[in-house]
Parts: sequence; structure tokens; C-alpha cells
Amino acid sequence: MEFSDRATHSDRAKPIGAVMVVGGGIGGMQASLDLAESGFYVYLVDHSPTIGGVMSQLDKTFPTNDCAMCIMSPKLVDSGRHRNIRVITNAEVKEILGPPGSFEATIIRRPRYIRADKCTGCGECAKHCPVTAIDSYNEGMSRRAAVYLRYPQAIPKIFLIDREACIGCGLCERVCLAGAVDYGDRESEEKISVGSVILAPGFEVFDAKRRPEFGYGVFPNVITSIELERILSATGPHRSHLLRPSDGAIPERIAFIQCVGSRDAKCGNDYCSSVCCMYAVKEAIIAKEHVPFVKPTIFNMDIRAYGKGFDAYYERAKADYDVRFIKSMVSKVREKQGSGNLLVAYLNEEGKASEEEFDLVVLSLGMTTSKSVRDTAARLGVKLNRFGFCETETFTPLATSREGIYVCGAFQSPKDIPETVAQASGAAAAAAEMIASARGTLTTKKEYPPEDEVKPEEEARIGVFICHCGINIGGVVNVPAVKEYARTLPNVVHADENLYTCSQDTQEKIKNAVKEHGLNRVIVASCSPRTHEPMFRETIREAGLNKFLFEMANIRDQCSWVHMRRKAEATEKAKLLVRMAVANARLNRSLSETEVPVVQRGLVIGGGVAGMTAALRLAEQGFEVFLVEKEDRLGGNLLNLHYTIEGGDVQAFLRDLIDRVSHSSIHILLNSLVVDFSGVRGNFTTGVTTAPAMVHQKIQHGITILATGAEEEKPDGYLYGEDARVLTQLELEDRLYKGDWGQISNLSPEVVMIQCVGSRNEKHPSCSRTCCATAVKNALKLKKLNPAMNIRILYRDVRTYGFLETYYAQARREGIIFVRYDPEESPEVKKEGETLMISFEDKILKERMTLRPDLIVLSSASIPRENKELANLLKVPRTAEGFFLEAHMKLRPVDFASDGIYVAGSGHAPKLISESISQAYAAVARACTILSKENLLVGGIVAVVEGERCAACLTCVRVCPYEVPVVNVKGEAEIDIIKCKGCGTCAAECPARAIDLMHFTTGQLEAKVGALVGG
Amino acid sequence: MIVGNRKDFSEILEKLGAARRVLLLGCNECVTVCGVGGEREVGVLASELRLYWTKEGETFEVREHTLERQCDYEYIDQIRGFADDYDVILSMACGAGVQYVAEAYKTKLVLPAVNTTFLGVTIEQGMWSERCQGCGACILDMTGGICPIARCAKSLLNGPCGGSSEGKCEIDKETDCAWQLIVDRLKESGQMERYEEILPVKDWRTGRDGGPRRRVREDLKL
Repeated sequence: MEFSDRATHSDRAKPIGAVMVVGGGIGGMQASLDLAESGFYVYLVDHSPTIGGVMSQLDKTFPTNDCAMCIMSPKLVDSGRHRNIRVITNAEVKEILGPPGSFEATIIRRPRYIRADKCTGCGECAKHCPVTAIDSYNEGMSRRAAVYLRYPQAIPKIFLIDREACIGCGLCERVCLAGAVDYGDRESEEKISVGSVILAPGFEVFDAKRRPEFGYGVFPNVITSIELERILSATGPHRSHLLRPSDGAIPERIAFIQCVGSRDAKCGNDYCSSVCCMYAVKEAIIAKEHVPFVKPTIFNMDIRAYGKGFDAYYERAKADYDVRFIKSMVSKVREKQGSGNLLVAYLNEEGKASEEEFDLVVLSLGMTTSKSVRDTAARLGVKLNRFGFCETETFTPLATSREGIYVCGAFQSPKDIPETVAQASGAAAAAAEMIASARGTLTTKKEYPPEDEVKPEEEARIGVFICHCGINIGGVVNVPAVKEYARTLPNVVHADENLYTCSQDTQEKIKNAVKEHGLNRVIVASCSPRTHEPMFRETIREAGLNKFLFEMANIRDQCSWVHMRRKAEATEKAKLLVRMAVANARLNRSLSETEVPVVQRGLVIGGGVAGMTAALRLAEQGFEVFLVEKEDRLGGNLLNLHYTIEGGDVQAFLRDLIDRVSHSSIHILLNSLVVDFSGVRGNFTTGVTTAPAMVHQKIQHGITILATGAEEEKPDGYLYGEDARVLTQLELEDRLYKGDWGQISNLSPEVVMIQCVGSRNEKHPSCSRTCCATAVKNALKLKKLNPAMNIRILYRDVRTYGFLETYYAQARREGIIFVRYDPEESPEVKKEGETLMISFEDKILKERMTLRPDLIVLSSASIPRENKELANLLKVPRTAEGFFLEAHMKLRPVDFASDGIYVAGSGHAPKLISESISQAYAAVARACTILSKENLLVGGIVAVVEGERCAACLTCVRVCPYEVPVVNVKGEAEIDIIKCKGCGTCAAECPARAIDLMHFTTGQLEAKVGALVGG
Repeated sequence: MIVGNRKDFSEILEKLGAARRVLLLGCNECVTVCGVGGEREVGVLASELRLYWTKEGETFEVREHTLERQCDYEYIDQIRGFADDYDVILSMACGAGVQYVAEAYKTKLVLPAVNTTFLGVTIEQGMWSERCQGCGACILDMTGGICPIARCAKSLLNGPCGGSSEGKCEIDKETDCAWQLIVDRLKESGQMERYEEILPVKDWRTGRDGGPRRRVREDLKL
């Protein structure tokens, strides 16, 4: 076994430069990719037969409505083919022994019955399998064979046999030309040595049958949210047609019931699942987009649209999609006899019991942890909280109770995709830090032979290799005929056919052919470049050819698979595809990728909790850091906070953090401002001016982290600033801490808190996320000081997401009164003489209440600190509200579109301390993917400007999504190849055709089209 | 910049008549920038012609060529060597370019492929707007930098007409009332007193009404 030589020979004192990531969902993949790109070997272990997790089952994602699979599959492919990630699927972790830094993990692999080293993923076995089994990917709503791939994009693309369904007929074994079927496969155990571990096992949806009053499993038209997700998906049971189960009719009236299995003490889940409000809104919108006459209704207690851009999405659902929101918890669902329709019973807003008819009811299921995950945690000695999620502390949100084992994603607490991705990067940073001294010890880098020069003017000598792909292509397309045809094409000097062109022996065959026939271009006509191009490129590179001299023709996915029944025409089309590839390959040129050195130092702007954490974590990973703070002391917002809702001592934490930041690798620049900025990832130069002497210095660094934070807005109205009894939450917290009560002498003081002051309005449409929890925190503190205090919190929606919900429940138990108000009738505050008065509508009593409070506390909005100039200097975008705008809302939550610049903390959007800490770690992990490398490779497929043709029209400057092109002093567009990502948008749009995208030049595209239609 | 619109394909075909050897001539200045007659658009129109005539089973030759400018004879001279191989020169420049090419190749049929529309600016990628009519006597100093000649539908000189409503012109809801803009701008820049000054009746002889214009600068002449 692989383990023996490593563990026995390794020096126990030195950590092992490998990490085990448990769970291959979006979080696990992100953590693995960050680690592998930072010099650590990764074992990515998943209990399922494929990585991808729950995200692979989702249709669209909020708030961008991106297709989940489309945005996730690049990560799937990258994880699957990364040199330094070993994906181990269908496996469990049995135990982890040894000290942190030098763990020995035992993995149990369940039998797959298909040999991973032989299966090519062609799918012939599934086509012949006579068994129909229930397809769990489609939540049981469709059928599959007993030998299957969980979904078409699955990684690894290796089939497996479901032995419970398999009848052992042996058909698959007979049709598999690769000889991959192995009925004798057994469970096996493997030991691996790793320095640290990340747990990212994700969640399981709540079992809807535990709420029998909603009739799931009894009434066919009561479905779960994940089932609706599959129904809406193009790969779902009805190919994205919105049909209800009982009769296949299109449901017009759809009811969503929120909080099924969440915020529910009866079933033990008195936490909020954090994501259901948003996914219900999304599903309602998408359903409406599929079928415009659909009328969705969402029954909810609060709409918890607390994330970045969520409130705008929620408002859009109401205004543009006519989604109806009813504030009520449904008490019962029953079926209307005969119709399959459902009667939903609820208390309407007037407080009357009513019943409404719907065609379909969707239960918005909450997040729970699975039994197998809880069992694994128990075996590994990782403590869980009372809900079965991983226990973490406020100031160490990524650490489990066992040293060296870190956590991220929904297992830590219910969360959505972007927060999972950010936390996964964060966990990667934490896991990397403890083994940082072993960076690069277990990763491998490929060494290649020197490249043979192929001059552009040299006559092309093309070799074409045509794949049968078992019978996937060969069964439809006449491969020998295509081969003979290829031989007749210009510049083709060699053509051959293979059973599986991707097999190991064929790679050798290709390399030999390159030598033997003096080939300087290679074409493989087989499957998709998406999965196979990197491998073939590597093959020709090993043969001494530049990798860009490789070309692919997809005669499987785009030919044999779609023209299965028209073999003659399919053969003709395959010939055309090969002809196009030949025309293109003739124009392929060697492209050089040059190495540019990386300045292995970081710059962190902002000395609050996020900035200090980021600086410290970078330093602990062994990198020198400059930490720039404009004030005269470190701390940022933390200077004004005293305790967390969980009871954590903020000032003690801050003192400790500031202490640690006095680190030999951290240069702290107080009273300092960034005044200029230039350069690209790996090599930035920043000018910093330090007061009072206004000393100017230039800093060279490889990455930049922006952690400029947010602050409490000074409220407008409610007599704030006019009466000392009207405070903000921060001011209240300060008073609570100092015990400074001023004039309150009342024995049972009256306190009113007003939520959403300055948030969720026209000027500032977003939710400020933290104020609900802050109000609850301070209310509980007040109640503790004086239990006789009457506290009312006037709110629009209480957004105590995740485990914060428990404090909201506690507040209600302790007699704190929550009164909902609508923005149209905001509370009114006025003064009569010296008496402070507040009046508001009480929706339950249905009357206007007027109180004479002793204190009014305003939960004021979080607004970004002044960052406009900085954003201009660094050329990074901001949202309309001035928060920094990340590269992609879902999957790149801490990156900017410009490489090498990252965001952490509240400057990105309002955050709790623990969230800022997670995000700071995340920015560090992303930064280390650059800092850990001595050189970066640039060039290759990039846009190149022919200056003479340029009309300086600015089109490229405007259309580039990464803001790369500039018009230079010569009046010509200039594109920095270090920044260019090769998307080709500028080349397509240039009205003077002055820009070409290398490897996809206009000449090549014309040649391809010419070969197709020109004859 | 000069902004134009490409003519409909059917109109271009009709103008070409029986001509099948076509020299399609682009211009790398204004019409490139406003996306109507640069090398890319030349390629697009050439492809359209080729596709059409191929479909019709005709024999033809379409040559694509883009000049740096069609309003300078040195550039126009660059096609001298092969212009005679074609029945027609189809110019994608503005009206000035089309005419200058026609002047240079007196025996050739020179056709326009573009309708020249106005002198304007880029509002955003893919959107242009008129700003100047070349009246020859600029009054922008008086009108807050907003031209009532080019931007008022009636070219009124002393305040809006009755068709100004909620800041928009009565001709359509998309068009701002130039005088509303002028007043707003005068207010913003603290020059409202300018609004009181009556602009005299305009002497249009400096503009088109004085007949075709010519400009000579003796100091620059060779």
C-alpha cells in the first residue's frame, strides 16, 4: 500500500505536505483546488460515486440565476484532472490517527464493480443494462440502469454498478470492450498520510415525512424543494418542463411552504437553514420564467434575504414576477378529492383561519446533517453541536474541536454557495498554515523534453488519429472510411484509428507516430476537448511538440451521439468535422508561455479584524506582509464592539490579535494611505504615504487584499442627534459596556429598538445583515441587567439566520416583544415637551400603539467606509451602494476580476466577526495560489493587437470584462498578456479587425468555415 | 465623429444592379469607430454578398479593402492598381469619402453602402447621439455648452416651445428637450443670466444656406 513508505520513513517532527479533504461538493472542490495550487498534495474523499455534491442537482442559483451545472463543471473538471489532487470516490473515512501535522487516515473504498483504470466512460454498459433502478440524482422521479453514472458531467467519469439493483446478467461485462467490468470487486482499505484535514461533507435535506401534516409521500402533488429543482432542470425527469406528479398537468397555483424542518423546536431543528427563503424565491421566479401563467405564493414567517444582492432579488420577485408572499406558517395541507389539488390551511394576515386551493405544494426543506456524517465525526473525535453540525468557536470559525482538522460549508452551519466557497478557501488557508513548512514536498511538477521548433512558414505535417470510442463512435460512424478520407486532405501525412484513443498505450502510439512521420501537427477526432484536450496536449508535448499544435474534432458528442440512427450521414459529418480540424490545424502556431517571477510578498489594505487576520495568516504561511491602516491604531470596527451574541469577549480577542500582528514578517504602516497602484498579479507596485511626515514609499508585492471594512451609518430622522435618548446599537453597546445609563431612573424602563434604519430602502436597497442579531444581542444584555425592562423590537423581517435563530427564540422566551412593521408605515418618533413618544401599528392587536420610551435604539445600516478613490486606483468595481464587487457572486466570492486582488471583511458586504475572519482566511488561500509560486506562466491563448490597424475606437476597452485593454500613447490599443484571459470578446468586437485571439484567429475560423462550406 | 447607418442589404443589391465584380471599400476612421464601415463591417457585407450570389448561382468577385481614410487623396490612390478590375466601387465611408473616391476614379461607378446621418458622440458602446450640425457660427458659449441648433427639433434660439413636457421633446419620449437641458445646465453652472440674453436671428449663411462651404488656410498651403 502506498501509505507504508511515507509514514514509516517520514520525519515525525516535520509535517506532511498533504491534506485530506472530506466531501467533494462545491466547498470540498474549492478547498482542494486552492491547496493543490498552493503547493500541497490533496486527497479528495467523497462518499458518493462522483464529486459535485448537492450543487450538481440544482437548476439555477440565486441571485444571478446562473445555471448551477454550467458554473460548477469547470471546477469539477479542474479537480478531476489536477496533477496534485487525487479524487477518491465511493469512500468513507474510517479513522484518523496520529498527531496533527502527521495524521494517518484510513479510507474505506466501497466496491464500484467497474475498474477505474479501464473504464473510459463511454456508457455502452448502461445502454445494454436490462435493469431499471430508481435514479436518486433526479430524486427518484426518473429511472436509470443498474450500471450508471450519477450525471453526465460526473467526475470521475467512471461508471459503477448498483449491486442492489443488478441482476448479475453479465451483459455489461460482455459489451464492455475496455474490459472494465469486475463483478469480483471488493471493499478495500487504504491508509494515507496527511498533515491536516478539512471536513466539507455538506448537508442532507430534512426528511419531509417528519412533518406529516403537510402530506408529503401521501399526496402526490406535495413535493420537496429539491424535487422542484430537478423538475425545473434541463437534465431533470421532464427535461425542464414544469409538470406535477399526479397527472403531468402544468400546475398554475404553486404554494411554497417555508421552514419545513427549520426554526422548528418540535423536530429539534430550532435553527434557521439560511438558504430556503432565497431558493424558494428563485424557484418561484424560474417556474414563472418556464410557464408565465404560474402564480407562485410563498408562505413564510420572515423572508431572510440577508446576503449580498438578495433583497433586490426578493423585491424583483414581487414587482416583476408577481410572486405573492404571505406571512403565515401553514398548519395543514389536505388533498381535495378527485382533483389532486391541495387545500392549504393557514392564518391569514387578518388573523382568520383560511384555506386556499393550489395545484402544487412545494416544501422548502431545511438543512440537516446526515447520520453517516455524524457517525464519521464521532469516529474522528470531532465535536458536534446539539443540532448535529460541527461545533466551532466565534473567533475560530474554521477549527473543529480536534486540532489539525478544519471545517467548512454547510456542515459548519447552514449556508449558501458563495459563503461555502469562501469558507472552503478559508479552511484551505487554515489547513495549509499548519503544514506550511512542508509546502511543495509532496506535489509533483511535470518535466518535459525540450520543444522542437516549428516555424510558421514550415509546411504542416499533420497526423490524424480517429477514435472508435469502443462502439460509441465506431458503431455509428464508419471510422475506417473517415481515416481513408483524412489521408486525402492537404498536409495530412499520417492517419490512424484506435479503439480508445485516450488509453495509455495509444498515447505511446501517438508519440511514436510524431517521431516516425515527422509530424508537426496532431489531430484527435474523438470526444470533447473539455475533458480530453489537456491529456492529448500533454502527449504531444512529451513528444517534443508545442501543446498548441494539437487540435481536436468532436465526432462523438457532436456527431455519433446525436445522429445515432443516420449512420451514413453521420459518417459524412465526421469527415467534414475532420476536414475542418485539418484546415484549422494548418494554421495552428507554436505559442510560447513565458515565466515571470512572482514577488512573494503581500499587501493588505485595512487594519480591522479582516485585514489583521489576513496579514497574520499570510505571515504564518511564511510570507512577508505590508499592512496599511489609515488610522493611528489597528482594530477598525472591533474597537467599538465589546461582546458577541455568543458571549465572546471582543476586546480580549482584539488585544490578542494586535499582539500577534506584531510579527517579524508583518510591516505595519499606520496613518498611511495608498496613493498610487500599478502592476499585475505577481508583481504590483503600490505607493503609500504615511502621516504626519508624509513619507512616501513604494512597496513591491505579488498580491493585494482589500479589507477596508464598513461602518455604522449615522441615522437620519427618528430624532437621532436631537435627543440623547435616541441611540444607535453601537452607542448602546458602548453604554452597556461602560454601565453609563445617564438619566434612566425608571424602575421598569421602556426600550424600543427600530430595525432597518437606513437599510432596505431606495437609497440603500440591501439588508445590513448583522443588525437583527445585534438587536437581539443587546436586548438580551439589557434584559439581563434589568429583567423588568420592557423591550420591543420593531422589525420588517427578523433575519437571525443559522444558529443565531436560537438567540431570537431565547429573546422571545425572555419576554422581548417583536412587532412587525411595513416600510410604508414606519414608526413615528416625536417629542412632546421632554417626553419621547413613539407610535406604530401593531399588526396583531390591529391598532396604533403609542409608547413613551426611555430609550430608542436605532439599528442603523452598515455602509462601506470611504473606498471610492481606492477602487479607482486599483481599478476594482463597486456595487451601486459602494461595496466592493467580487469577480463572481457565486463561485469567486473573494476574488476580483483582476487577478491577484482579493477582498475580505465588511468592505465586501456587512458581516459578523466570525464571517470576516473566515473571509480573511479565504483571501489568504486565494492569495497563496499566487504567492506560493516562484514564477507565473503567461501568454499562450491571449489577444494580440496589430497596432497599425487600430482605429483607437475604444470598443475593446469597453467590452473587455476584465478591463485589460488600454489605448496607449501611440493611440493604439494595447493588451497586457499577463492580464489577458483569452476570452476573445475584444477580437470579436473590434470593428477594425485589429485584434486576433491566438489559437482562435480570424484566419483560423474562416479556414474552418471555408472547409465546411467551401468544399 | 461622423456617424452613419448601413443601408439595407436589399437597397445595396438594387443599387449594384448587374455589377458582379465589386470592390468593397472600408474606411478606418469615423465609420470604423461607429461600427458601420470598418474592416469588420466590410467583411460582414462581403460575406452577405457572397452568400447571396452563391445561393443565386451567380459568378462574382468581391474584394475587401479598407483604407486608412477615404477623405484624403493619397489614401484613395492606394487602390489605383486594382480599381479597374472591378465593375463598381462600393464605399462604406461617409458621404464625403464616397464622393472623394468618385472624384478620383472618374470612369468608375462608385456607390454608397452607408447613409451618413450626423456629427455626434458615443453615448455608450453601440449608441451614438447627434451633437453638431456644422452651422459655422458656434454659440455654445451662450447655451451652457448644449447646442440648440443640433439638439432642438426646431433649432429654436431663445427658449423652448410649447412642446417641451417633463424635460422631453414632443417629437418622441426618448429625445430630451434641448432647452430644458440648457436651462438645467445654466442653473447648475450659475449662468442663468445668460438665459435672459436674446440671441439675434441667426445668419444662416455661414451654414448650409450660404451654399457649399470651402475653407482655406493660406499659412498651411504649400
